[in-house]
Amino acid sequence: MRHRAQSRSFLERGGFGLLALVALLVFAFDVLPALRLLIAALFPGGAFNPDAMLAALSSRSAVKASRATLETAFLSTLLALPLGTLMALVLGITDIRRRRIASFLFVLSVMISPQVIALAFLHLAGPASPILNTLGLAPEAGSANPMLGRGGIILVLGLHHAPLVYVVMSAGLKRIPLAVVEAARIDGARPLGILADHLMPLLRPHLIGAALLAFVAGIGNFGIPALLGAPVNYLTLPVLIYRRLSSFGTGMIGDISALGLLVAAIALVCVATSQFLTRKDAVHLDDDGPLKPFWSLGRARIAAEIFVGLVLAATLLLPILSLTASALVPSYGMPLSWETITLDNFVEVLARQDVTIRAFTNSLLYAGGAALALALLVVPVAYGLVRLMGRWRILAVSLVEIAYVLPGIVLAIACILLFLKPLPLVRVSLYATPWIIVFAYLARFLPVALKPALAGMAQIDVAQEEAAAIDGARLAQRLFGIVLPSLLPAAVAGGLMAFLLAFSELTVSALLWSAGTETIGVVLYNLEEAGLASQASAVAIVIVAVVTVAMLVLDALGKYLPEGALPWQCEPRAEEHVRRHALHAPARAPAVGRLEPKPALS
Amino acid sequence: MSMKRILLPMLVALVPAFAQAEGISGNLVLYTSQPNTDAQQTVDAFKAKHPGINVTFVRDGTPKILAKLSAEFEAGQPQADVLLIADSVTMEGLKKEDRLLAHEKADVSAYPAGTHDPQKFWFATKLITTGIAYNTKATFKPSSWQDLTRPEVKGQLVMPSPLTSGAALIHAATLTGNMDGGWDYYEALKDNDAVAGGGNGDVLKQVAGGQKLYGVIVDYMPIREKAKGAPVEFVFPKEGVSAVSEPVAILKNTKNPDAARAFVDFLLSQEGQELALKQGYIAAHPAVALPAGYPAREQIKVMSFDAAKALADETKNKAAFADIFGQ
Repeated sequence: MRHRAQSRSFLERGGFGLLALVALLVFAFDVLPALRLLIAALFPGGAFNPDAMLAALSSRSAVKASRATLETAFLSTLLALPLGTLMALVLGITDIRRRRIASFLFVLSVMISPQVIALAFLHLAGPASPILNTLGLAPEAGSANPMLGRGGIILVLGLHHAPLVYVVMSAGLKRIPLAVVEAARIDGARPLGILADHLMPLLRPHLIGAALLAFVAGIGNFGIPALLGAPVNYLTLPVLIYRRLSSFGTGMIGDISALGLLVAAIALVCVATSQFLTRKDAVHLDDDGPLKPFWSLGRARIAAEIFVGLVLAATLLLPILSLTASALVPSYGMPLSWETITLDNFVEVLARQDVTIRAFTNSLLYAGGAALALALLVVPVAYGLVRLMGRWRILAVSLVEIAYVLPGIVLAIACILLFLKPLPLVRVSLYATPWIIVFAYLARFLPVALKPALAGMAQIDVAQEEAAAIDGARLAQRLFGIVLPSLLPAAVAGGLMAFLLAFSELTVSALLWSAGTETIGVVLYNLEEAGLASQASAVAIVIVAVVTVAMLVLDALGKYLPEGALPWQCEPRAEEHVRRHALHAPARAPAVGRLEPKPALS
Repeated sequence: MSMKRILLPMLVALVPAFAQAEGISGNLVLYTSQPNTDAQQTVDAFKAKHPGINVTFVRDGTPKILAKLSAEFEAGQPQADVLLIADSVTMEGLKKEDRLLAHEKADVSAYPAGTHDPQKFWFATKLITTGIAYNTKATFKPSSWQDLTRPEVKGQLVMPSPLTSGAALIHAATLTGNMDGGWDYYEALKDNDAVAGGGNGDVLKQVAGGQKLYGVIVDYMPIREKAKGAPVEFVFPKEGVSAVSEPVAILKNTKNPDAARAFVDFLLSQEGQELALKQGYIAAHPAVALPAGYPAREQIKVMSFDAAKALADETKNKAAFADIFGQ
């Protein structure tokens, strides 16, 4: 430790340009939007008026929506938590087969944006369901679609957020030293006993952390309650905010900011608590090997495998089947058969309609552009944060997270507030241009893109840099010569991860799109809202395909990445372990190094 | 040097002339509440006549289009050149705010007075009525607005929300002006467990898909879906229907007034009106036939409504509706 502290001060000299870059990004992407939102809520019309804010928060619809938000978030957490934890345990400590592919598929299901999943579940049930109609199981006309309303939202949110719990719990499991299990074994403990008496107590902070994350993800989610709640007027706060702003316009932005602030406050408190809990590492894993699967299930293995298969069927297979069936029928409500099957919906959205083609191009451009910019930014930013900021690093990393923790719809309001009026000096408004969306993507996904690079930084040997510095290498030379080559894969992975999340997002662009800047998430939602369910499903299938391809590319990159950079990697790689020891790498970086698909996946 | 000074302005002066000779060109942004497929067809038909004009369109419900537009006005970045939205009341509002550009040369000789603004700020393009649709599996067939409050309809009615649909806003203004007790009618619908969700497209989906048996909806959607084989039937209720005229107007800030005027001219032309017929709408042009599935033009009874009052009460009506149906 002493050694590191010394070397830090030695390398910390200079680099003001880098520090300025970090400070500027944190200010522009996180501090400024948050402040602007506070001002709009507390000073509607320019004067300090907390009463106006209280009035907005205590209106009948706001109270109803708050209750709906808390209720769905809480109950869906009760579903996601046991499901995600069980998956983490089955895949993490038992000798089940095909764990890698199962882990990949489970995480894939959370990478598919919520509105796509919501659309899939909406079409899965009810009298018009193409699948039920094909099977002849559709309920009679006039019966309600059980997916619409409170129960459906809770179910879909719970299934969709189970992988979030899984990722946090798997990370927690990997931090438990294998020695804990071995010691218990010597004492004669059976696997179930080890799990209950030794592992679960160690996992408690992660369990609470995961529960809080699933809860926050539920609070901030827009896609699922928008598709499943709005048609029956069961509105959560994000949907109420969207509806108000999109139907009444910016005249109500003061009230809307107050609602946004409420959602933001709930989210920030929960995430801060969760970070605090999972960062406080009781167990250190310096020279000891991490936990490995130790539970031979014997005959019960097949049962565990069936369980995993069922979970994957519910979270991924069934939704994709449902979307496929809806996309292949000529009109929503018809059964799928050899006579009715058609590719017309795909032709319509991929070739005939300008708006969907434009939206695919736009999303590729905005998400791709933002991802590229982020990949370029993360190397200097990660370096600045880790090597140059000393103890300020913790504050800076927490601030960077703000834009990610804020529900997307709240970030969008902040962007409208910031950029609606023409900017000072240049006198140009960013509103109604692609730049407002790109800005929001950069702000929102910077922490996502940064995580692999931070993890990578923790593995770069300081000694190498010191040697270079003694040889007279300047900061820029060290950055290009030593840091960049080691961080490159991590930067690419971070960029790809940002692309994955930005490509089909809806929450941010729902309020920021304009003529010609529609994103694919917006078009999907509009098609569904306009009643063109089959075309919306065709768009959804294309989105799933793009996301899957991006995930496969990321997975292929996996072997070049720092351990734990990909949330679905569940087996530690032996050769890497050796390498890390050889390099005297610092002990595992705290939670900042881990790439977790956290609440902002909404 | 001097040659350049003379030549350059001459060339610059010639450019518009060349452009004129080749027909109108440039970009045109259309904000419309037409369903995506219809909007695309309209744009395609217009482009076939004016290949030089590149049209981009944005589709959403009329109130949402207006909310977007008002944010853009505030940003000083209005994007739209032409509006084709549900109702003339909204157009009147924009005209009062001085947002519209009159098209004095528009040829409206074929249209009776009252279908367009006397100062030619906006022009009706269709007649879109709102009536009742039901799924053919329903045993009870409603024939009047009052029927929707009957126990047979309980829990089975879906209607568009004035927060999303311009036609629904006019419909609410019309019904509350015509039915006894005004908003009490909507209270009765609420007591009968009616739901108001999104736009007309959503109503069609729910009724055709059988999730609800009855819907309040614009005429053309169920009528043309029925023609395609969907299990829906449309009813013109005996009290009468409410109606909007899907007017078109040019925005004052348009960057391409020539293209915008060409677009309006196209919609008002015989060809543009025939397209409306082909799409399954009642065209505004009195000489254009009605699509199959409609009664004769003079048999459609449109309820009267007070446009000035509807404009003045717009926010109040939205709020009243939102309050009753918990939006």
